[in-house]
Amino acid sequence: MATCLTAPKRPFLALPSFVPSSCPSITLQTRRHQSSYRRTKQRLRVKPDASFGVSSTQFHDQIIHNPPSSAPSVYHTPTKFLPLDDVRRTLRGASMNNGNSAQLPSVFKTSVEKRYHLNPSDIEEIRRLRLSDPMTWSRWKLAKRFDCSPMFIAMVCEAGPQKKEIQKQVLEAVQSRWGTKRRMAREDRQLRKESWGRDE
Amino acid sequence: MKRLQLQRWSSSVLSPRARTGGRLQQHLYYNLRRQSTVSPAPQAENEPLFEEQSLNSSTHIPQSSHFKYLLPSPPVEAARESAKLAALHARLYLPSRLPLETLARSLVDASADSNPNFNNEALATLGNDLLSHYTSEHLVCTYPRLPLTVIFAAMYAYVGPKSLAAMAKEWGVEMAAVPGGEVDPGLLQFKRVLPGTDVNAGPVTGTERPNEHRKSWRKSMTSRVVYDNEYGDPVGVSGESATPESQNTQGVTAEHANATFVRAVMGAIYLHAGRPAAKRFFEQHFLSRHLNISDLFNFSQPARDLSRLCARENFEPPVAKIISETGRKSRHPVFVVGIFSGQDKLGEGAGASLLEARSRAAVAALKGWYLYSPLNVRVPSSMEEEGAAPWKPVHVDLGEVIV
Repeated sequence: MATCLTAPKRPFLALPSFVPSSCPSITLQTRRHQSSYRRTKQRLRVKPDASFGVSSTQFHDQIIHNPPSSAPSVYHTPTKFLPLDDVRRTLRGASMNNGNSAQLPSVFKTSVEKRYHLNPSDIEEIRRLRLSDPMTWSRWKLAKRFDCSPMFIAMVCEAGPQKKEIQKQVLEAVQSRWGTKRRMAREDRQLRKESWGRDE
Repeated sequence: MKRLQLQRWSSSVLSPRARTGGRLQQHLYYNLRRQSTVSPAPQAENEPLFEEQSLNSSTHIPQSSHFKYLLPSPPVEAARESAKLAALHARLYLPSRLPLETLARSLVDASADSNPNFNNEALATLGNDLLSHYTSEHLVCTYPRLPLTVIFAAMYAYVGPKSLAAMAKEWGVEMAAVPGGEVDPGLLQFKRVLPGTDVNAGPVTGTERPNEHRKSWRKSMTSRVVYDNEYGDPVGVSGESATPESQNTQGVTAEHANATFVRAVMGAIYLHAGRPAAKRFFEQHFLSRHLNISDLFNFSQPARDLSRLCARENFEPPVAKIISETGRKSRHPVFVVGIFSGQDKLGEGAGASLLEARSRAAVAALKGWYLYSPLNVRVPSSMEEEGAAPWKPVHVDLGEVIV
């Protein structure tokens, strides 16, 4: 204990990291600060954010509200969803409204504008084509011809039973070639997708 | 509002000296069995009588012990001698107007004692109605937009048999191995099912639902309000409300007996201590249990539901926008996507892909819609208090999104 107390502190300049690296014998020692717990700790000791301290203009007691970044609570109803007679609608006012939402990039590269350009006769034509020759008139081809999405084709008509049977056999043939890894990965992906809806 | 005289009701329900000769087994000792849990007023008269009995009980020991073994459940007089029962009464902080005899009766299941004057069936029926009434009015008034499936799930979580059984366990109620007259009345008495019996064998039959034999027909959610029980499960003759005869032969599960006991306690408090005490007991023991309702949701197509909702409510169509992202080209990217309707943000979600983040944001937006709760929630039963403020109608709107 006594020796610890009487031992002189190493001078500041003698620390290996501050010595110029011209001396080759020191290069071995420069790595030492990484393994030193105390020095690593010292480097991690960051000055607290300015919002935590007492501001220079305000000297009396104050509440510091600095919540960690987290997903917003679902119990906090958005202002748009509040009924018209709710007090919170006026209490929040424009303070919650951040005006920069227009500048944010969209998730999808192209935003498809719905056109509603097909009339009932076109839809009859789609149904007729799909039932008459389902092998040539697939969903994609019909969508290309009528300038709509394949989703819309699926919404207005259904494939014939023979085409469904063929498609089922094709799918089985493809899936029979899958090994365990691919099958499990696909099942896991499906399970993960289902967990999005449960918010897990 | 004038409070009703509950003591009158309780005497009619408990029926102290009523004898229904047809349903009772014809035994000699039935002439000796007496219900003594009438109401607080006659109970005071009973106490000196009881002391008399205890004084000269030493002379009757052989006779009374023999008498005890013949009974299907503990005699009413034994309730005053049970330390377990007094401890349970004190632990639950039950009102002093609720006598120990009624508490002992609420511990006797119908499978142990088929006599309706000595088992807890009537109390449990009343308690179950009170519990589902208080819980459903709390849920509907607090979250007026909840979908029906979530209401059913929340009802099951608050007052379902599993929760009630867990509650009885937390209250420290122990179960008797076999019911009988010599058992401590502080133990839960019921006849157990034999091990290996399939309790959920076979489909539920005897419901009031038309065309119930059609298995492939769709059962709509709204029809469950009419035909099914408060949890949205079909209830039939082979369900929970089985006939006492079949329960006597088969016995009941421990979960069922525990749940019936908790319901019977609720009914007993209502009968003996009145409506305010029952409401207080409900708030302290049932409503105080934490249930995160946002965990009960499960959406299959949240983005589609949200766009339907916005179209129905005349909002601008929802647009998903990237609020922030990190590591798009790395192995673990994180995207934070917000869903905006016009200038307003409806929801926000984070995920490892743009689709996941968008889907989670849509789920958050839908939950924001469904979990709306008005300020200063009042339930209809709060009007029963004296000096209650005039009733204002609860918030009602279109609620659930139907695609």
